[in-house]
Parts: sequence; C-alpha cells; structure tokens
Amino acid sequence: METDESSRVIPFQLQFDKPLASQIKIAEWNPEKDLLAMVTDDSKILLHRFNWQRLWTITPGRCITSLCWRPDGKAIAVGLDDGTLSLHDVENGKLLRSLKSHCAAIICLNWEEESQLITDDFGHTSKYEDRTSRFFPPAPRVPRMPGLVSGDNGFMDDSEDSFQELSNSSHQRFNILCSADKDGNICFSIFGIFPIGKVNIHNLTFPTFCDGSEMSNGVSNALIHKVALSKDLCRLIVTCSGDLVKVGDDLGEIQMVGNNEHGLHCLALNTAIFWNRKNELHQVAQQASNIEDLTEVVRTSLSVMCRQWSDAMNTFQEKFRSLSTLIINHGLDSSPQEEFLSLLGGARTSPPVHQFLVNTLGEVGVKRISKVLSGAGKELQRIVLDHLQPAVEVIGFRIGELRGLSRWRARYHGIGLDESLINNATEKAGMLLVQVERFMRVLSSVVQQYSNFFNWLLKCIKLLMSEPSDQLLPYNSELVIVFLKFLYEQDPVKQLLEVSETEYEVEIDLETMQRVRELVQFGGFADTEYLRRTLVKEFQLMELSFKEAFEMPFTTISRKILCEDILPLFPLPSLPKSSSSMWIPTSVSYYEDPSRASVPPYSCQNQFIDYISFQVPDECFSDIVNCICIVRGFMHDSDCLKKGYSSLEAVLLCVPVDYQCVDLSLYKDSQIVLLLNKATNTSESAGDGCMMILQVSDLPYVSMSRSACIDVWRLPELKDSVAYLNIGDEKSRTIRHSVIAPLAVSASRGVACVFAATKRALVYILEEDEDEVSDVE
Amino acid sequence: LVHATCFADASSSSDAALAYVKLIQHLAVFKGYKEAFFALKIAEEKFLSVSKSQILLLKLLLLHEHALHRGQLKLAQKLCDELGVLASRVTRVDMELKTEASLRHARTLLAANQFREAAAVAHSLFCMCYKYNLQVENASVLLLLAEIHKKSGNAHLGLPYALASLSFCLSFNLDLLKASATLTLAELWLSLGSSHATRALNLIHGVFPMILGHGGLELRSRAYIVEAKCYLCDSNFNVFENYEIVVDSLSQASEELQLLEFHELASEAFYLMAMVYDKLGQLEEREEAAASFQKHILALRNPQDEDDPLVSVF
Repeated sequence: METDESSRVIPFQLQFDKPLASQIKIAEWNPEKDLLAMVTDDSKILLHRFNWQRLWTITPGRCITSLCWRPDGKAIAVGLDDGTLSLHDVENGKLLRSLKSHCAAIICLNWEEESQLITDDFGHTSKYEDRTSRFFPPAPRVPRMPGLVSGDNGFMDDSEDSFQELSNSSHQRFNILCSADKDGNICFSIFGIFPIGKVNIHNLTFPTFCDGSEMSNGVSNALIHKVALSKDLCRLIVTCSGDLVKVGDDLGEIQMVGNNEHGLHCLALNTAIFWNRKNELHQVAQQASNIEDLTEVVRTSLSVMCRQWSDAMNTFQEKFRSLSTLIINHGLDSSPQEEFLSLLGGARTSPPVHQFLVNTLGEVGVKRISKVLSGAGKELQRIVLDHLQPAVEVIGFRIGELRGLSRWRARYHGIGLDESLINNATEKAGMLLVQVERFMRVLSSVVQQYSNFFNWLLKCIKLLMSEPSDQLLPYNSELVIVFLKFLYEQDPVKQLLEVSETEYEVEIDLETMQRVRELVQFGGFADTEYLRRTLVKEFQLMELSFKEAFEMPFTTISRKILCEDILPLFPLPSLPKSSSSMWIPTSVSYYEDPSRASVPPYSCQNQFIDYISFQVPDECFSDIVNCICIVRGFMHDSDCLKKGYSSLEAVLLCVPVDYQCVDLSLYKDSQIVLLLNKATNTSESAGDGCMMILQVSDLPYVSMSRSACIDVWRLPELKDSVAYLNIGDEKSRTIRHSVIAPLAVSASRGVACVFAATKRALVYILEEDEDEVSDVE
Repeated sequence: LVHATCFADASSSSDAALAYVKLIQHLAVFKGYKEAFFALKIAEEKFLSVSKSQILLLKLLLLHEHALHRGQLKLAQKLCDELGVLASRVTRVDMELKTEASLRHARTLLAANQFREAAAVAHSLFCMCYKYNLQVENASVLLLLAEIHKKSGNAHLGLPYALASLSFCLSFNLDLLKASATLTLAELWLSLGSSHATRALNLIHGVFPMILGHGGLELRSRAYIVEAKCYLCDSNFNVFENYEIVVDSLSQASEELQLLEFHELASEAFYLMAMVYDKLGQLEEREEAAASFQKHILALRNPQDEDDPLVSVF
C-alpha cells in the first residue's frame, strides 16, 4: 500500500492557481497562441497569457453573450445582447469592425477555416491576385476630425489602423464565421466581415417518410444552443431546443407531432455551397469587403467636410447678419448686397455700412473670418485629396474587377454575382468620380471668391479709417460683383455636402447639359441627369447600387443552405417563453475519419466524423440519471441511409455516483474532457471537483435505429447499455475547489482552464503529469 | 476620360479632340463599330476647323480594323498604305505612329496568310522598338510574332515568343497585354495536343477575370472560344453533364463577335456550337448553329466592298 502510493503520479500538471476579480462566464483559448480570452459577469473581456499576465481589458458597454476566436488567432469575435457582432484585434483589443446582421442577442459563434487547399470542380486551381496594391497606394483611411482630443473616442481613436489590417484578407485562408441569435437566425459571413448567408431555424423544413407518405417537419419555439461548422465547411450542426411540428400542405397549418415534444434536437444543415464555391466566394468577399471599407471612408469624409464647412460658414454668417440688423435700425429698406454694390460703385458710404465695417467687423474681424474660411477650404481640399478621391478611385477599380468576375457566368452566376447589377454599380462609381471632380472645382472657385471679397473689404476699411492701403492684397471688382450676386446668401459647397430631405437640384447650364447628352454617343453615362444631383446624393445612390449588387450573392447563397436531417435527443420540461432556458453542457467537434483517408479530395465527401456530446438532464427520463451521451455519425447518416444502413451511433456514460457533470469539452485525438463536481452530501470532502479525460473513439457505441417516424426520442434505446465511469479507471485529477462552468480547453495547445466557485482560475497542462510530492494543493 | 471631357470648357480644343478620339477608340473596342462610326461622324462635325489630322487618323485606324475583321483584305491593304504615307511624313518625330503603321501592316499580311512576309515585317519592327526602348511595343510585337507562328502551324516556334512577351508584360505591369499573351500561350499549348488541355485551361482561367473585366470584345470572344475548345479536348470533361458551360461561353462569344462583324472567329464559334449540339443530339439547335456558321463563312468569302459609304472617301 505504501509502495503503491509513493510511485503514483498525478495527471494534468497544474501551472497556475490565481484569484479572479469577477466570476467568469465565457472562456476561450486562442487557437494559435497561449492566450485565454474571458468574459466576466460584469461584461468585460480580459485577455491573459498562459502565465496569467494580462494583456488588455475592454468594456463594450453592453452585455456580452458569446465569444470566439478567428481561426488564425489574430482577431476575436464578440457577440452582444443587442445583436451586434464586433471584431477585436488580439494585440490590443481595439475594435476592428462591427456587424449588425442580427437584431437579437447572439447566443453562439463558430469560426471555421478551410482545412486544406482544395482544387475546384474540375481539378483546376484558380490563382487569384488582388491587383489593387500594384496600381494604388495603400487604401485611404477615415479622416480624423481635427482638434479632437485623442482620448475622447476610447478604442475608436485608433480605428483608422483597423482598415489596413482587415483589408489584408488576401493573406487569410477562406473562413466562415457562423453566428446564431435568440430569434433563431443563423448568419454566415466570410472573414467575419462580409455577410454571405442567413437562415432562420423556424423556416427550415426537412422531409421524413411516415406511414408511406412524405411529411414536412420543422421546429417551432426554437432556441439555439450551439452551432458548429465542419472543417470542410460542408455541414453545420445546430443543437437547439424547441417543439417538433408537422408543416401541413396548407401554409398555416401546424400540428404538434405528439405529446410533450419540447426537447433538445440536433439539426444538420447542408452548407456545401461554401466548399463548392470557395474560390469564387473568397474573391467576391475580398473585393466587396474592401469596397465597404472604402465606402466608410467616403461617408466619413463627406460628414467631416460638411461639419467643417458649416462651422466656417456659421462664423461668416453670424458676423455679417448684423449688417442686416444695422440696415433695419437705420430705417433703410435695402439689402446688404445692394449696400455693398453701392460701396463698390464708388457711392458715399451709407451709415450702417460704415458702422458695420469700422466698428462691428473691423480689420481684425475681416482677417479672422478670412483665415477661418481659408483654413476650412484648405482642410476640405486636403480631405478630398487624401481621403475622398483616392477612396472613390479604388472603389471604381475594385468594382471593375468584380465586373470581370460577374461576366464569368459559369463560375459566378451560381453565387449570385449579377452582371447588370455590377454594371450599374460601376456606372455609379464613375459618376461619383465626376462629382468629386466637380466639387473640387466648385470649392476652389468659392474659396477664391471669398478671399477676393475679404481683400476688398479690408481695403474699404483702410480707406474709411484713413490709413495707408498700399500694402493690401489686390482684388478683382468683377469677382466681388459675382460674389455678392451668387454667394453672399447662397452656399453651393454646403448644398453639395449636405444630406437633405428635400430634393435639391444643382443648376446646370445649357451647354454642359448638351455636352453630357452628346457624350452618351461616345460611351458616356446613359443617365444624363447625374450632374443635377449633389455630391452626397450621388454617394447615396452609389451606396444603394452596391448594396443591391451585394444583396444578390447574399440571397442566392442563403437560398442554398438547406436542412438535411434532424435528430431528436431528449425531452425538456416546457418553460415559459420569456424565461431563460436551462443551460446544458454541450460540445460538438469533428475528427478526421481514418477509414476515408483515401477518398479523392475534390469530391464532396464527408471526411470528418461528427461527435456531439452533451449532458442528459436528470428530469428527462426516469431511468437515465446522471449520464452523459456521445453521439457520432449524425452527418453521415443521411448519405448512409440511401445505401440501406445507418452510421448513427451513441453511447451513454454514467457519471460516478458521488459526482455531477458541470461542463464538458471535446478534445484532440477523439478525446473528451469532463469537469465534475463532487456531491455536497459528503461532509469530509465537500466542494471538491474533478477533471477527467477519456477516449471517445474507444467507447462501446450502440448503433441507433433511424425510424421513419421522428416522434421517437432516441436516448431510451441506450438505457440497457450504459457504460459506467470510475474515477480510478480514467485519467483524472481531483481539484480542491468546487468548480463551475465554463471549462476552457485548447486542443491545439493542450491546456485547460478551470474556474472555481470561489472566484479562482486554475490552468492545467493536459499533456503532462505532475509528481505528487510537489503538489502545491 | 469621361470626367475630363465633362469639363471640356476648361481645356483647349485640341485636348478635347484628343479626349473624344480616345473615347471613340474605346467605343470601337468595347461596343462595336456601328456605334463607333456614329460617334466618329459627330466628332467630325464637332471639330471641323481644328485637330483635323487627329480625326482623320482615327478614321483610318477604325476603317482598317473593321476591314480586317470583315475579311476585306484588299481594302485593309489600301488603308494600310494610307497609314504608311501618314507615318512617313513625320520621320523621326512620331515613333508611335510609325510603330502603329508597321504593326498593322504585319497584321494585314497575317490575315492574308502571308506568314513569312508578316514575320519579316514584325521582326524588323521589333528591332526598331528595341533600339528606341519602346517597351510596350516590344511586348506587342513579340506577341504578334507568336500569333504568326501559331497561325502558320508552328506552335513550338511560337511558344518562346509568347513567353518572351509575357516576361515583358510582367516587368512593366502590362496586365491586359499579359492576359492577352497568356491566352495566346494557352492556344499554343492546346495546339500541341489534347494532353495539354488542362494546362491551357488553367492558364485561361487565371486571366479570365482580367479579360472579361477589361478586355475588348475581340479578346473576350477569343477567350471564350479557347475555353470551350479546352473543355472539349479535355478527356475528363463530360459534355453531357456540363454542356451548359461550353454553350454559354460560345453564345457570349458569338454575341460579341457580331458587334465586331468578325466573321472568322464567329464562324469558329458557331462551328463549335454545332458540334456540341450534334453530340448532345439536339438537332434543331445544331441546324441553327450550322446556318449561322454558313452565313459567316459566306460573308468572309464574299466581302461587300460596294455598300460601305465611308470607304467612298478614298
């Protein structure tokens, strides 16, 4: 006895046992580095190194409902309770992008990357090159509002760097971010930034054959628990709770399948379109996401310019409005323009003009306003040259590339890239380019005329003050007349920049309109009215045409994601709709199927076996208590059934009598990690936990029948073949804390993080053992 | 170009004429001759007094291109001579014009199947371009030499020229010309035997977005036809299951070639379509394609010189 004790080793080397400030509710390991992201009870995100050094903390300000890493480990996706999906940089936590594909809380996230370089349908590899960087400097960034203190924006302060990083999606392998929300919507986005598909679980139907006739079935009152994409992106497994219903021939007729049918189900969705059209989707997503970045640059540029110009014009109008007041106070009936014209014509200065120039405005006032307007003009020109015009040019180039793709109908029509919509977007981009050019000319002209006007005013003031005026800047009398006639009470720059509800039309002279119409014969734009639109209006139309063009792939792909199969697992007690559902430990993973290693890679075969593991609540069946179930081969089943046999297998594992399962996670090489808590009825060791690893591929699986009727729960078939777990038989380790969910396991790094009820975090290396004598516990 | 022309009041008359000339050239390449000649008439009226030589030169270029496509070789040669006269008048000054004239001379000879003479002219032109460091023209002439050898049936001789042209394009970022050279390279590989069909198809698919997005009607049509040929030669390709791909490519090619009145390529497209429909057993469609093929062959063999009104100027 004593000899046996001294030679025993303890598995799972404990690295750290650290106190926590808050309880943790979500934890995920980085797939590439030794980093752990955690979400606290008070909705902060912490990033820790393996050695528990904290890298950063961010507070999105809303409740965090889900979290997952990008497959390359460089970004993290955060789901919030208002449906926002935000991407954060791993280096500093700053916000890279926000997506608003959902309207309800995002329950779960899953981000999967293509597992290998696969050739397309005919075995040809299309090597695609993003040519933009060879012709244009790096993409322009969002202009910064001058004078803004850098601390005011928090994380948004550095957001201009994020475009550069996100735009480097050409270095990423093709990946899909799958997000599911409380309302049953499942959204797919390529690289996490380009929405490409959306399905609602309530609208999914799947056929079954019952009593010789085909029936359509669906799930109502569904609540999604977990989504998992296979590594070849061909299948999506969704675990959800809800009611199984029959969808009758009549549209509105819904009939309950049987009594007490609310329970946990697994759905298999066919997402093979992502694999079949991987190359095409990659290219479209790359161009389109870059275009959306640049569209944001354009929008912000227009907004910043509008604000700056409005500020400058307010300064001018605020000062010159007092001249109208002075004219009225002197009992005169003329307008300021008429007074200025009289002054220019050499007439005697009228009293209100004299008072305005000498007392109200003064030399200092003229110079100040002139400087403000000149500065604003320069700033607007800088924004156009550094941000707006480059962005519009690159947008035009990229939409030209997409137009080339859209003409390749054999490849791109199937994913919804529509040539006429892309052509329309191309034309709108061209029109916007012309509009930007016109805006620059208008801006130049306006700034010049204001400068000329102020030079003239300065000379007048000098004359009135009887001071020498030799050193004054020259002015042009004709320009002053034009200014007073066209610019004193009108603001063409503001009109081009302002977002207005009324349809303002820019005046076009007859000669220009004739030339535009004539240019249609030379390949110009068919829409000859575009010069009547403002710059902002043209931008809105361009944005709308792009949205329409990118909506088509989204709709096309969404329509091709279908539900293939359903697996009812166990009933759940029906809960009121408003209350939150009970939390069930669940883990879904895919392992390579060794028996299919020789299948040709370009064939869309299921090369991975799916494993679905979950805890069976004690309330479900009277004769199944304290058990964990592992199901495998669900996805294969729909293929195998056509050949007359079933690949679906399952096994029930009974947790030791003294323990309860807290959480579980599938691990590398077909293993599963269980986190157990000891029952508290034992007084001497109350509150202990236990972590255990076992091999799931070696368990005594039982083949499950696939009855044609789907109103049968699957699990009771297994109650006669329960396998019993013992602490001593498996690789396990006692934890001297009462443990809670979540259990964070990293298959790529071989580490696990366990959280104790007493606000502690314990980090273990799962691949290494520990000598008993050095046990710090 | 379009936005520069929209503000023509700010530029000089000769600059505006140059912009319009560029627009008409684009029109011919991308939309066909009918619209280009219509636009040319408008431009002639617009710039009556000044910049006459630019409009005249454009007219010559358009007519020559049109004659080549319609198979009117005598007219093409005549226009080429006119171009040569214009070019010789500006000795040592306008290298672009001399290069263009010589290039078109070689292409006219190629269309007339005078391969040796075409190669001699092209080689002489290459020496001149090399001497004066005209890099874009170097790549173009090398590509033309590759096409001469391809058409004369010497694919193995054409390959080095195509690869050399490709090398020039890579060095100087000439993406569209590179796509054109890659297409010629694919054709050369395909003519070396059906075992190279996969390689040729990979080359074509690599440059397909470039050609479809930025190439003219002729380049796009050629790409479609060569793609269809590769599929048909590929032993892995099942015509019965995937014939829509081939027919779709050929349909797009024939539509665009009609705009160009390019009878030779159009007849080739319809011939391939007829073959595909014959294999599929769709006799009605086959007869339709065969009729179109015959129409274009007849148009190619009987050029109609009389009813071209613009030619009567000369």
